[in-house]
Amino acid sequence: MTHPADLVITGLGLVLPCGDGIDAARASLASGVPCFADLPETLGLGRGAACGAFSPAGIIPPMQLRRLDRPSRFAWVAAHQAFQDAGLDPKAMGDRIAVAVGTLTGGSEASEAFMRPYLQRGPEGASPLVFPNCVANAASGHLALAFGLKGPSATFVDRENAAFAALEQATRWLRAGLVEVALVLGTDGLFPLLLDVCRGARMLARHGDPEVGSGRGFLPGEGAQAFLLETRSHAEARGARPRATLRALAARSSAGTSEPERSTAIAAAASALGPVALDRHIGGGNGLARLDAMEEGLAIGHPAWPTASHPKVLWGEFGGSGAQLLAAALLNPAERVLITAPASSGAQYAALLEGVRLDS
Amino acid sequence: MNRVVVTGLGIVSSLALDREGTWSAMLAGKDGLGPLTRLHLPLEPAQIAGQVALDPARHQTLCERMALRALEEALDGLQLEGDPERIGVFQGAGTSGLPVAEAYLEERLAGRRGQAVEPAYQSPSTVTDALALRLGAMGPRGTIMNACSSSLLAIGQAWERLAAGDLDLALAGGAESLCRTTYGGFSCLKAVDPQKCRPFSRDRAGLNLGEGAVQLVLEPLGRAQARGAVIYAEVLGYGASMDAHHPTAPHPEGEGAARALAMVLRVGRCDATEVDLVSAHGTATPANDGAECLAIRRALGSAADEVSVTSTKSQFGHTLGAAGAFGAAAAILALRDQVVSPTLRLEEADPLCDLDCTPGHAKERSLRAALVNAFAFGGNNTSLLLRRWVGA
Repeated sequence: MTHPADLVITGLGLVLPCGDGIDAARASLASGVPCFADLPETLGLGRGAACGAFSPAGIIPPMQLRRLDRPSRFAWVAAHQAFQDAGLDPKAMGDRIAVAVGTLTGGSEASEAFMRPYLQRGPEGASPLVFPNCVANAASGHLALAFGLKGPSATFVDRENAAFAALEQATRWLRAGLVEVALVLGTDGLFPLLLDVCRGARMLARHGDPEVGSGRGFLPGEGAQAFLLETRSHAEARGARPRATLRALAARSSAGTSEPERSTAIAAAASALGPVALDRHIGGGNGLARLDAMEEGLAIGHPAWPTASHPKVLWGEFGGSGAQLLAAALLNPAERVLITAPASSGAQYAALLEGVRLDS
Repeated sequence: MNRVVVTGLGIVSSLALDREGTWSAMLAGKDGLGPLTRLHLPLEPAQIAGQVALDPARHQTLCERMALRALEEALDGLQLEGDPERIGVFQGAGTSGLPVAEAYLEERLAGRRGQAVEPAYQSPSTVTDALALRLGAMGPRGTIMNACSSSLLAIGQAWERLAAGDLDLALAGGAESLCRTTYGGFSCLKAVDPQKCRPFSRDRAGLNLGEGAVQLVLEPLGRAQARGAVIYAEVLGYGASMDAHHPTAPHPEGEGAARALAMVLRVGRCDATEVDLVSAHGTATPANDGAECLAIRRALGSAADEVSVTSTKSQFGHTLGAAGAFGAAAAILALRDQVVSPTLRLEEADPLCDLDCTPGHAKERSLRAALVNAFAFGGNNTSLLLRRWVGA
């Protein structure tokens, strides 16, 4: 387990289906109204939580905007917000700032856009402008160019909680002293093939909105959430006021693919954080039985914990590959917030934030 | 910090389906490049690839099948003991389930329903999960998709966690299979040579694509010694950087790559004069090889004149997500046997590549430490540092 108690979150940037920025996210969380609606055909047939109000104007230059896939656009704007929120000029950091990204869909939208004409027309249908975005780490590359980031970078693709794998990696770079600041980011974008595949696999909620414990299925979402993580000493030296301290982070995996085995793994991750009194619990339930079962198991095993809230039933699944949970944890003041981030893969995460305050 | 060693190595390549078969073929100057038959792409000008003599199995992608086979060789009968929560799995992913997605989309474009497959089956983390289940690993897992530097970074992350004392054992590596997206993609970027690739050559004209899998078992030195394990090499650390220069092209002077190399020398507390081998990224693209040699010179200074450089791309083609692990495997076996595998088809070196790039034939020499490079789209650079194991 990592004990990153000397690491603080000093910047937050949010692109969500409810709108861009912290105020929109806080209002959405307070209202509890899901953001799902019929999607435009360009994003897929069916319902989902699209970032319909997303506006990169004034942030992403038009020439660059044309070259970016949706996850990269969202990531750019979220990162911009996070740097502003933290009062940090990334270009001044050079190679002392790292980037760690979690995504499930990064590269996939571009892969579909590349494959469709290539499968139909062969090489003459292949686009050299689209292909570079077919890799999941396209977003981190675009961020490096946009903000002059020259430190280490890693992109994780571990399904619903990939952003926590990114967070864990960032803590290691910071604690090893390789960098002073890390941009941690989850980003995802909707695209037609995603909905088609999920519908074919009967994973999507067909009637109504997703509800934890209903077994109804999930609905997809999109967006990006960016966090500036830095050593406390670095934050203090530059006069930054932390939004929260990352007290602990733990990862465990299941030995098998059954629900009890997955539940055991996430319980082990949560237990590794140590016994603490909690103000809030943010969970990763999304309406899909296999994820919800893990959260329900946690609730039964810890009756003293506060009832978990599950932002993925408001904003959709894959809309940041777990970073939505971390974002939700930062939107209301609290002494201690537990975040549990289950995934349909074997890897499970739990994190503990302390001293969450509203304004940096 | 724990010292970390490699105690298992499995290779599935286009030269052979095992480690020693692959290595002996490399030293004999054979290549695994041949006619492209995995994919039917008659309109593509290049028809060469490094294909593995395995096919996907039912409910098992080729990546998964190759990775599991490499794992069995890496384990070499090892019965895992101890706390399963202290066993981690870190994989670099490339195409992974992309061939499945391509087949599905093709069905849909043809107006058919398409086989209902879970997104998980197409997910890059599927290979990681399959390996972890086979191992019974209950510790952290990570699936890294940093394009062509993915698997080298995965090895670095395994080292990082073992060195910190957070794990007792880790599996790291990568697997890659040919698919239409990558073949068509690199082709439309004019990055594929219709002939066999020629790393570091004056007339190099691009890469060939390849497939395969490499898996490494890594442990803290003390644990490896306590169980009497065969030790292949010591891992001293890794360095990573971003160019912030161009979405696909490397910095022309290797500035970012040189920073990754400098970082790993610093992390590994290794003097440049101790490095005898660089297992290069060496893709044979016009942009990469010259920039990489400049980066090596920037990082090693005058010591660069004494190093041997080699590129596994000349044997296997570019295995993308697995490429870094292939480079690491070549370096590990070179350190073990004190012999450098050759760079094939290097007849007239590019003046920019003015290092000893081991043309044509294997070279026996004293090898103390080796650097492994993997560079990627997005300006991602990773370098790994290995040291010959000669006993504690």
